[in-house]
Order: sequence, then structure tokens, then C-alpha cells
Amino acid sequence: MGEIVRYKRDVWGEEVILGVSWDLLWVVAVAVLVLLAAHAIIMAALANKKMDKPSSEGRRVLRHETIDRLFHWVMAASILTLIATGVAPILGLRIAWLNIHWIAGLLLTFVVVFHIIRSLFWQDFKSMILGPKDFGEPFDSAQKPGKYTFEQKGMHWAVTVVVLAVIATGILLFLQIDTPFWDRTNSMAEDTLGLMFLLHGLSTLALVALAATHIYFALRPEKLFYTRSMVSGWISEDEMTANHDTSLWSPKEAD
Amino acid sequence: MPATSHDVMPDIELYQPTDEENALELASSLGSDGWIVGGGQDTYGWLKDRNKSPAAMIEIAQIDAWKGVKETADGIEIGAVTTLTDIANHPLVQAKFALLATAASKVASPQIRNVGTLGGNLNQDARCWYYRRGLDCYRAGGNICYADSPEGLNREHAIFGASRCVAVSPSDTAPALVALDATMVVASVSGERLIPAQDFFVGPDRDIVNMTVLNEGEILTAVRLPNEWANAEFYFEKVADRNVWDFALVNVAAAIKVSGGEITDARIVCGAVECTPRRLEAVENAIRGQQRSEELANQVAAMSTEGARPLNYNHFKVPLMENLVKRAIRG
Repeated sequence: MGEIVRYKRDVWGEEVILGVSWDLLWVVAVAVLVLLAAHAIIMAALANKKMDKPSSEGRRVLRHETIDRLFHWVMAASILTLIATGVAPILGLRIAWLNIHWIAGLLLTFVVVFHIIRSLFWQDFKSMILGPKDFGEPFDSAQKPGKYTFEQKGMHWAVTVVVLAVIATGILLFLQIDTPFWDRTNSMAEDTLGLMFLLHGLSTLALVALAATHIYFALRPEKLFYTRSMVSGWISEDEMTANHDTSLWSPKEAD
Repeated sequence: MPATSHDVMPDIELYQPTDEENALELASSLGSDGWIVGGGQDTYGWLKDRNKSPAAMIEIAQIDAWKGVKETADGIEIGAVTTLTDIANHPLVQAKFALLATAASKVASPQIRNVGTLGGNLNQDARCWYYRRGLDCYRAGGNICYADSPEGLNREHAIFGASRCVAVSPSDTAPALVALDATMVVASVSGERLIPAQDFFVGPDRDIVNMTVLNEGEILTAVRLPNEWANAEFYFEKVADRNVWDFALVNVAAAIKVSGGEITDARIVCGAVECTPRRLEAVENAIRGQQRSEELANQVAAMSTEGARPLNYNHFKVPLMENLVKRAIRG
């Protein structure tokens, strides 16, 4: 316990990286549970100081198009599948995990590429950019965000970095196994292979932490309307004016 | 503590329990630090090569309750610590389950069979020479397979079911027990569980570091053979580079029920072609209800190797396996 990296001997007897130490999985799990529990307790203690929740009744505005909601849920399902199948052998569960893992990985890669292209050319990319002004938002209740809050942008970019890392390393590892498309060639040097496993493992651990945090906040009572909007596409005008600066974000009416 | 010299055995705490409860308690308390040893014919190779060095060994060869062959209400039960020689020569096994007697008689050499146990033969580790050499391959907890590479020497490796690891199941008794629908009796401090032989072995897709489904603290204590396949027509053949003291390149174990020349039921299992004994259910289904003949054997033999993915150096296993299946079917 306590190491971050595992090592092995390569075929020449030299010590090389094997991969991440999966003891860290327990560290991440415990840390996330403790932090999120602490947040929930603090929020519960502050609850009587909160203002009334905005109403979900009345005029509805469009927050997420259907295609973007579909992308989100396909990405969520593929990431959860990747985490479950990747962690299963570490936990000692005897399931045939590898094929499900790379198929989910390919699906994730496809939807991420789709999203990158769509966000650059068909969506308001600027609405997701994090600038210096955004960092003051959590400390100034008078400062309201545009479409996305500081926390949402932060989560988005953190997930972007981690998912791109897990995809890039995952593809390199994918090339090292037999698939219906090719036979493996063992072409990667063992030290490089170990580094890829290490980076893949570290980004997996980060993804576990981010996914858990994201799901927690998505289920928080004061954020639930955002989660609803990722299912139904809309938020109410009341929710919009209570949480967003309408001069920075003025969506059209939802169908 | 690892040995500092190759001239002496490594420091290992040796436990020699004389009763089942003591053995199971030791297996539970030592967990992954406790290495179960019967006759030691797999263990000592690891120790001599200094590629595995357990902190403790639990020798179970002296536990009488796990030895011997006895008749039960619906078959026979063989203690896992029974030697292979005793099984091969036992009148009850020869009379009802000659398939197992033959398979046991083909294991290794007479000297090894005299001390090697049934449980040890079933639980033995893979024989891939890269793995046995001590290289950090997938099976050793690493992240690569040296055998399945453009220059890897994989003549004796798998042609089916490879999932990153291409090692084969080296046991001769395993295919026979799968063909006989045996049940493995696995004990631990928590109790006992019964596992069909076919489910006892695990491939690398589900568990890449173990060959069986035994968990920490569990010990295979007995094997039960039901009378279902007693006195069927049996066929066992093992092809190896040497006649004695060698692992199979391919082996076949078949139990066939014949009535009036017609095959009423069959079990055909091949070893050394996959990480687990490979039961040929498609072939069994094809021959059921057919007249046992050479013609039938010739017709279905190719089915046995459908889906095979030979490696660089083991393409010969495909026709070899087909021929063995042919011989098993025609009798």
C-alpha cells in the first residue's frame, strides 16, 4: 500500500513501469466518498438559509437539443461501462470484460469526436470557455453566469482532458491486443507499454473521481433542474432568470 | 524471504496439517501467502527455478480424509490427494471409469505419478515457457504476452480461446473428468461448494492469472464421478513429443454411449488446445443419433477445429486435433 506506480522486469531483466498501483482505486473511492459526504452534510446544515427554489412551472426555454442530450447519455453509458469492465478484474470479478471494454471505448471515441466537431461548428463554443471573470463567480452571488456556471465549465474541461487522455492511451493499448480487425504485433517497447498503462490507469482513476462527483451534483436538489434539462431538454424561465444572466444567455422557447 | 543462494531452498514456513479442519484454517488464515502442495510435482519446479517463492506452504499429502477411492450411492468419489498411480491402478476406477484410469496413467512419468496427486494435476499451473521462466507476462501479473508475438515460440500454445494469454491447460486428467461430468468438491472454512468439472477451469478472458476458479482459502478435496457415464465406451489418446514425461501437444478424452451401433450420447473433450479443457459440444450434437462409423468420424472431424486461431508455430495442432477426434469417434 502506498505506491503509485508498479514496476516489473522486461524481457532483458531491466526494471520498467508496469502500470498504476490499483491500491489508488481505494484511495480515490474513499476520498471521493468523504468529500462528497462532507459537502452533503454542510449543504444540509445550510439548508434553512437557502432561498426558495425557483418554480419549474411556466414558460420553458431550451437548454439542450435532442442530439446533445443523446450524446451526453451515450457518453455517460459508455464511460460507466468502461469503468465497470475495467475495474471488474481488479476487484477479482470473473467476467469476460475485455471485448465489452474496447467496444464501449470505440463508442466513446466516436461520440467524443462527434461532439468536438459539433461543438466547434454548430454550437456556441464560447459559452463553455473558462475566463478569468468566471473564477469570481462562486464568491459573488450577484454575478450570474451565461449558459454554463463556473462549476459546470470546470467539470466539462476536467472531463475533456481526462477523457482525451483515456481515449488516446486506450487506442494505443487497443492496438496491442487481438481484435476482429487485426492480430496483435507486440510492437510497442515494454517501457512505453508500461507508461501507456500508467497513464491509462491514472486517467481512469481521475475519471472515476470526476464521474462520481458529477453524478453527485447532478442529483443535488438545487441542481436537479439541470439534470432534468439533460433528459427533457428544457428549464423553466423562472429557473433560468434565477440562475443565469439573461443578457449573456437568451435561449429560445422550448417546444 | 527469498533465498540468497541458488544452492539451498528458499526460506519457507512449512505447515503439515494432519486433519481437514486444520488445513482449511491454515489456508484461510494464510490466504495468498499460503501455497497448497500435494505431491509437489508442480511446486518444486517453481521453487527450483526461483521464479516463485511462497512465504508458507501447506502440505496436504498426509491428510487421509482426502485420499482414496470410495463408492458412493450414485458413483465414486476420489480424494484429491490420491496419487495418480493409485487412480490408474484402482479396480473400481478401471472397472467403471477406465477413461480416467487411462488418462491418469498417461500423466508424466511413473515416478511423478507415484507422488503426484489428482488435485495437483487438475490445479497445476500453465506450462508456457515464458511464464515458467519467470517473465512478467499477463499471467504473472504483467502487461504483455511473449508467446504470442511475431518471434514468440508458441508451438505448444493455444489455438482456441486466447484472450491476451495463449497458455494451455496442461492436465491429462482434466479432459477425462469433464467428459465424465465430474463434480469438484471444494472446501473452505466457510463450507463446501460443488463445481461441475467444466466450470472448474477458467480462461484468461475471465481470469488471466489463475487456471481454476478456486478462491483464496479454498482447497479441492475430492472429485465425484456420477454413474451416468460409467461403463460407456471410452477413448483417450495423448500426443506428445515424448512417450513419457511430457505434456500433451493435444489430447482427447471421449465417453460415448452406444446402443445397437447408434450413438445415444457423447462427451468429447480435448486438452492442450485452450486454456481450459475444450468440450466439443457441436461435434457431440452432430454425432448423437448417428451410427458410429469411420464415415461419421470423417464427416464431423472438421467441426472440432472450427474457429481455431493458430499461432505462428502451432498450426499442426489443427489437423492433429481433427485426427484425434476422428479416432475417438470411430473407436
